[in-house]
Amino acid sequence: MKIKKPKVSEEIPTSSMADIAFLLIVYFMVTTTFAATRGLDFSLPPEDDTPPMVEKEEAVLIDIQAGGIYLVDQKPMLLSEILEYLKPKLERNPKKPVIIRPQPNAEYGYMVNVFDELRQAEDKIGMKVQNISIPTQREIDMFWF
Amino acid sequence: MRLTSRSVQNTGIPTASMADIAFLLIIFFMVTISFEVDKTQVTLPKTDIRIEIPKQAAYVSVSPNGTIRVSNGEEISVFVPGPDEVLSFAAGVVQNDPSKPFVLKADRDVPYRYVDGVIDALKQAKAQVIYLLSNQETVDSAGAGDE
Repeated sequence: MKIKKPKVSEEIPTSSMADIAFLLIVYFMVTTTFAATRGLDFSLPPEDDTPPMVEKEEAVLIDIQAGGIYLVDQKPMLLSEILEYLKPKLERNPKKPVIIRPQPNAEYGYMVNVFDELRQAEDKIGMKVQNISIPTQREIDMFWF
Repeated sequence: MRLTSRSVQNTGIPTASMADIAFLLIIFFMVTISFEVDKTQVTLPKTDIRIEIPKQAAYVSVSPNGTIRVSNGEEISVFVPGPDEVLSFAAGVVQNDPSKPFVLKADRDVPYRYVDGVIDALKQAKAQVIYLLSNQETVDSAGAGDE
């Protein structure tokens, strides 16, 4: 009697490979997010219990109120006018401190708008605003005079 | 007269390169995938200056209603009740890595007092740099800031 040997396939079964591959593609497509990973950098000075005192009159104070009202040294201004106002002051004193002080009920976005505008000073007026400060309420309570 | 048989048209779609394309796509998604550590839905402010944020930065998010969530950049963000907890979280992060960057992901319409508390906590924790997460400024939105 002849015994039949069972036939063993020499090939790797690849029929389901495409299914697996597309399953993986769908998984990655669903889970991937092109997250916003850019922003404005804001370097903080080292914490100092006795920060250098700046006379309020020496600095330019940008007061931001709710609804996007900008008061620069108490004068209402448009965002685009701030750098023009700062230019002569920076020409006299390149280290002129600029203080951004948003009111507690002002929207955060307006603070970012002002900070972004000041950071673009080099491109727009040819001078860098070297000294930008955004004091917090605690710092204002502690050091504001 | 005997007619010559018509040439047989191949009706099948060639799938020989499908696997190559599929694996190419898999590799693309594997390389570009980044799991978001914080999924808080916010409308980010728009800025012209946008600097690449280093990977593994710690996240502090402030939602439109002032809810704060924190993440050390490796784990999914968790809710914290207020700035005091942000301070203790940030102090722990800075202790492990003093140069760890922080990302502030806040809604553009959130009242500033919520953000002020967070920035103050990060300052007190001796964070060196904070990135204010933003979206690309577009031509349409550029003029809106003046209004």
